[in-house]
Amino acid sequence: MRGETALRKVLIANRGEIAMRVARACRELGIATVAVYSTEDRDSAVVSYADEAVHIGPAPAKRSYLNIPAIAEAALRTGVDAVHPGYGFLSEDPDFAEVCRDNGIGYIGPAPEVIARLGDKTAARQLMAEVGLPMLPGSVEPLQSVHEARNLADEIGYPVIIKAAAGGGGRGMCIVGESADFADAYTRTRSQAQLLFGDPRVFVERYLTSARHVEVQVLADGMGRAIHLGERDCSVQRRQQKLLEESPAPLLPPELTDRMGAAAVRGAVAAGYLGAGTFEFLLGPDHEFYFMEVNCRIQVEHPVTEMVTSVDLVQEQLRIAAGQPMTLRQEDIVRRGAAIECRINAEDPDRDFAPAPGVLEEFWPPAGPFVRIDTHAFPGYRIPTSYDSLLAKLLVWAPTRPEALRRMDRALAEFRVSGPGVRTTIGFLREVISDPRFAAAEHDTSIVERLIQQRQVKEDSNVAAT
Amino acid sequence: MTAHDGEALEQVRHHAQRLLANIPSQPSALRVRDGDVALDLEWQTDGNGARPIESPAPGTSDPPPDSGTTAYLTAPTVGVFYRAPEPGATPFVAENDVVSVGQQVGIVEVMKLMVPVEAEAAGRIVKVLKDDGEQVEYGDQLFALEGADAE
Repeated sequence: MRGETALRKVLIANRGEIAMRVARACRELGIATVAVYSTEDRDSAVVSYADEAVHIGPAPAKRSYLNIPAIAEAALRTGVDAVHPGYGFLSEDPDFAEVCRDNGIGYIGPAPEVIARLGDKTAARQLMAEVGLPMLPGSVEPLQSVHEARNLADEIGYPVIIKAAAGGGGRGMCIVGESADFADAYTRTRSQAQLLFGDPRVFVERYLTSARHVEVQVLADGMGRAIHLGERDCSVQRRQQKLLEESPAPLLPPELTDRMGAAAVRGAVAAGYLGAGTFEFLLGPDHEFYFMEVNCRIQVEHPVTEMVTSVDLVQEQLRIAAGQPMTLRQEDIVRRGAAIECRINAEDPDRDFAPAPGVLEEFWPPAGPFVRIDTHAFPGYRIPTSYDSLLAKLLVWAPTRPEALRRMDRALAEFRVSGPGVRTTIGFLREVISDPRFAAAEHDTSIVERLIQQRQVKEDSNVAAT
Repeated sequence: MTAHDGEALEQVRHHAQRLLANIPSQPSALRVRDGDVALDLEWQTDGNGARPIESPAPGTSDPPPDSGTTAYLTAPTVGVFYRAPEPGATPFVAENDVVSVGQQVGIVEVMKLMVPVEAEAAGRIVKVLKDDGEQVEYGDQLFALEGADAE
């Protein structure tokens, strides 16, 4: 890709809202698009929106959106300059990036070696510790024996968390409260890691009981230049799945977020990063922050950053992948106001957030000033059962966080989605928005579990009253 | 020697895993030989073999009214369709041939991977719908069959 001045045609190796997001960025830049789709997505929005579309496999992702030969074949056949992997699926698979490179197809993201290194949590920790990013007390190398591991855990102090080196997405980790439980948990996490990721290596670090999840968006050109675009607070999570994200992270002193941004930039340069990436940190109540991991892809919640910085991150990805020099400088990044994103999932909060797909008889998203919707859904759309349940991302912007919360509540109330069997997280998100501790930004990553418990208590007392 | 052999075996295993991850149908048998390093994969012809007979893809016309038994053999993956095992060889099947379930009727090459196309139904081939060397997508109709209810 290097040396060329522009991309002419891009294949989008993804589905759902992010496929539409990438296709729109391409269209604005005058880049032709190729969609790939599974049988279950044959009537999807991006298939009709893209300039070309290739049917790559049946519904199971393993045979379609995770099928490297089929996607590479589609890319070669349609003569694209580059492939955009989106998020999930093949977006952080070094093998896919390598197959693209070997076949002369550009890859919109970092080099396969960089993806491999940052995808290995222990290797990433080592590298980031070397360039001075703050780490939670823990092991830098994978642990060799249960004895060594327990001694280390005893030294760190409990609670600790055992994590799979190859892990991600909140899977393959275990919190241990005391020394007596350590050996069992260690053995269990290792076998789980082997099962999930084919790699039993684990490491140990201190577990923060009350922490916020704050991440920093970076852009890097792979030639030593990197900038950050501020932070996002993603503390509203359920079982490591984010439900709501916002920028800026509320109530943090600018001096702190500047330091976090500078740390992320240092890490990106050290890793030889290229494109858009995210550095995840845990932030303790004492405002100490600790490196968690790097995500080598565009993230679901990237529009939050776009709304406060006015930078189109996907367009920047495309420009960087084309080898164009990055014109944005750190001093160009000026953040204004507050942005919030809510993930509208086809899930039933009353049934433990079980997927609740179906045909959308009604799909009427909110509108009005400073409201943004990223979605692939439309009236009559059948939500497939083979993929994740994300239906739409609803974003609002306002000059201040309290105004943004009111605007979000207004927009959520306008959102009408219905169909046989279809349930969404809209109502639950309104409960989050109106929670006094959330409004005061006194929440941490336990907020969703607390709200779920409150709901159950309310339900039980309703039952008792009747 | 054993260390070397173990390494070879490990490599074969690795290749097998990668192959399995990228081919559309799971094999019914996998044999790994150590001397001279070999790897055999076998597919069953029923159940989850090649593509099930699909209803016609959108945009294609309905089956002819006279044949309630017309079925289609479809492409198991996106790729290049070949009718013969190698250039110049006799095609696996031709029009009017009667095919049985599991019989190989073609090949689709995807990224240098040869994926066999096997008949998912028995019947007589009434029409060959794709030419040798033609690009196909997943689910594209390759052959029309009649008498598919013979099994």
